[in-house]
Amino acid sequence: MHKALVACRAGVGSSLMLKIKTEQVIKENGFPIQVEHSSLDAVPGFDGDLLITLADVAKELETQGLKQTIIGINNIVDKIEIESKLSQFLNR
Amino acid sequence: MLSEMIKEEFIQLRIDASDWEDAIRKSASPLLNGGKITAEYIDKIIETAQTSGPYIVVTKHVALPHAPTQFGALDLAMGITTLKTPIASGNKANDPVKYLFCMSAKDSETHLESMAELVNLLSDQKFYQVLDTAEKPMDILNYIIETE
Repeated sequence: MHKALVACRAGVGSSLMLKIKTEQVIKENGFPIQVEHSSLDAVPGFDGDLLITLADVAKELETQGLKQTIIGINNIVDKIEIESKLSQFLNR
Repeated sequence: MLSEMIKEEFIQLRIDASDWEDAIRKSASPLLNGGKITAEYIDKIIETAQTSGPYIVVTKHVALPHAPTQFGALDLAMGITTLKTPIASGNKANDPVKYLFCMSAKDSETHLESMAELVNLLSDQKFYQVLDTAEKPMDILNYIIETE
């Protein structure tokens, strides 16, 4: 089971919506991923292996040398985008 | 429920905005006037958007202006603003922005159900038709109540 953190800048709006949609995709596909969400403040203390966020935030995180795989989502209601990026992570 | 976060006076139709910052400020003004956020909260949204990009643009044509709770989110609330002329935010995948859902929340859990409803609405083509054709704020609020 992989542990994923859905994080955005505030932790109350976009990350919450992204978590809801990501969990729908995970459930429908039976992906072995467990999701929690928070603001970016929680990223340094997160011990899982996947970070899911909006695309522009992902670009910023990628420059920080984090150990986790980072997935950036452009469109939070696009299940196909979320599904294909999660599949890519699982099959890497 | 989402409709409990939104008041009729928080909904503004076909607003003129001169640029991205103006669009954010106008989308936030009903929440400021309604005592749901402070002026600092609006400045924080704009400062974050300026320093780290259009993080609040979440899907095609839709922005969700909001900031962390500690910067002046006084109460749970959401406003809906449609723009007369769509505005570029710098988010290549989803520009131009036409609909702004300015929100404030005091924690990250109590509005989980409301946000799930909003996610569903943002996947619903009919909702965008309602946003485009509404003649008065209640037309939008009634549609949200109907779908709950």
